[in-house]
Amino acid sequence: MKVLILGGNGMLGPWAVKAMKDRHDILLTDINDPYPEYKGEFQKLSADDIDGVVKAAEGMDVIVNLSVLRPHRQLAFDVNTMGNYAMMLAAREHRIKRVITTGPHFQMVGQQYEEWDHDLNPDMPPAPGTRLYAHTKALGQEICRVFSKRHGIQVLTLLYYNMKHTWNLGGPEATPVYHDDMVPYSTAWQDCGTAVQAAVEVPEERLATKCETFFVLPDLPHAKFNNEKTKRVLGWQPRYHVEALWNKDHRTPPSGLTEAF
Amino acid sequence: MNLLITSAASATAQLIAGELSGAHTLRLTDLPENASGDIVAHELGHESETDELLAGIDAVINIGYQGQSGSPAHLMDYSTRRMYNLLQAASDAGVKRYINISTLRLYEDHEENLVVTEKWRTDPSAEDVDLLNAHIAEYVCKEFARDRLIQVVNLRLGWPFVGDSSAKPEDTAVISHGMIGAAVQEALVSEELIQWQDIHVQSPIEHQRFNTNTAARLLPGLAGRLSS
Repeated sequence: MKVLILGGNGMLGPWAVKAMKDRHDILLTDINDPYPEYKGEFQKLSADDIDGVVKAAEGMDVIVNLSVLRPHRQLAFDVNTMGNYAMMLAAREHRIKRVITTGPHFQMVGQQYEEWDHDLNPDMPPAPGTRLYAHTKALGQEICRVFSKRHGIQVLTLLYYNMKHTWNLGGPEATPVYHDDMVPYSTAWQDCGTAVQAAVEVPEERLATKCETFFVLPDLPHAKFNNEKTKRVLGWQPRYHVEALWNKDHRTPPSGLTEAF
Repeated sequence: MNLLITSAASATAQLIAGELSGAHTLRLTDLPENASGDIVAHELGHESETDELLAGIDAVINIGYQGQSGSPAHLMDYSTRRMYNLLQAASDAGVKRYINISTLRLYEDHEENLVVTEKWRTDPSAEDVDLLNAHIAEYVCKEFARDRLIQVVNLRLGWPFVGDSSAKPEDTAVISHGMIGAAVQEALVSEELIQWQDIHVQSPIEHQRFNTNTAARLLPGLAGRLSS
C-alpha cells in the first residue's frame, strides 16, 4: 500500500517506519529533516498545512498522522487539532478509505477516569479535560469521528502513554526507575511501531465500526488499562512486557544460578 | 451584570446585545478585522491581553455558531484555540458563567417526527463548516465544565431567527428575537443549572420541532412563553 506519514520524524515515526518500510511504499513528511539512516521518500511538510497535506495525499491508500506538539498553545492547536482536520479533508478529497491517528491515552482517559477507575478501555466516551496536550488531541480525534461518520472513512486511533527503550526501560525524558510505582501504561518503542503497522494492515471486516480506538500497551498486571481489543482486533502482539519495572524477580540475583536450588 | 459578548460584529451578537443592553453593562469584542465602533478589537490570544479583557466580567456570552466567517482553517482555529484561550482566561478571572450560543441545527438531519431533547447526541455535518465548528466549540466548552473550571450553559437556539411571529409553515424550529433575548437573560440568572447545561430553545408554534421542556423547567422566567 501507499502510506503517507505526517509528522514522521518525531519519537514514534522511526519505529513505525521500521515496522512498515519493507511492506509498504512510504512517503514520509515532517517539518524536520529525517534521520540520516532513513533512505526512503521524504517531503518537508507541516501537518497543519491543509493545501500541502491534500496535495501530498494524492494517490495514497492510507494516511498515518504521527504529528504532535505539546507545550506551546498556538502550535499545539495547529498540529494536534488542525493536523487531523487537514488529514480528514485530504482523505475526503482523494477518497482515501483509511486513516490512522495517534495520541496520548489521556485524550480519552482524563483525570476523572484515571484517578478513580480500573479496566479502562478504548470504547469509553472521551473525557480529556482541559490539559493542553490532551485537549488538543481530543479535538483532533473528534474531528476525525465526525468525518468518519459522514464520509465512511475508517479512522483508527492508536493511543499511547509511556514509551520505553527495551535496553534499559528508560524513556526519552527520564532515566529508568525499577521496582517503583511505574506508569501502568508503558510500551516498548518497537511495539509502538508494530501497532501502527497492524492498524494499517488490519482487514476491514475485523473492524466493528468505521471509527475505532485502541490502547497500545502490553499485558500489565495493574489491570488499570485494558489492551484486549487491540490484540483481538488488530492482531497486535507486544514483544516486550517491560517486566523489570513491575516484577522484582527481574533483579539480578546476587549468587548466580544458586537460586534454582 | 458585567457581560462580555464575543463575535460582537455578528448578527447574532448584535441581536443579543440589543436585547440585553438595558439591563446589563456590556463589553463587546471581536477580532480586529471585524471590530469597529464600540467593539473592542481582540485576537483572543494566549497572552495577558485576554486576561485583561475578562477583568471585572461576571459572565461571558460566546457566539458559538456563525459568529465568524472566513476560511475553514480560520473558523476551526477560532472554535478551538481562541475558545480555549477565552475559557482559560475566564476561569482564571473567576467568571461565574459562560453562555455558549449554539444551534439546534446540529440535529437538523434527525427526522422531524422524533422527540429530540437535550439527551440526544448531536450529529454535526462535516460539510457545513459552520455546523462543524459549532459542534467543536461545544466540545471545548464542555471540557472546561468537566474540569469544573467554569459553569457553561449551552443554549442551542432554533432557526431561523425572526423579528416577529410570522414564521413560514416549514420553519418548524423558528425562534423570535424576543425569545432569544429572554432565553439568554434567564440563562444568566437561573439558579437551577448544573456545571454543563444543555438547553434547547425555540418559539412555540404549531408542529413545533424541538421539545423545550428543559428550558421551561430551568429557566422559570421563560416558562410562560414556551409550549408545554
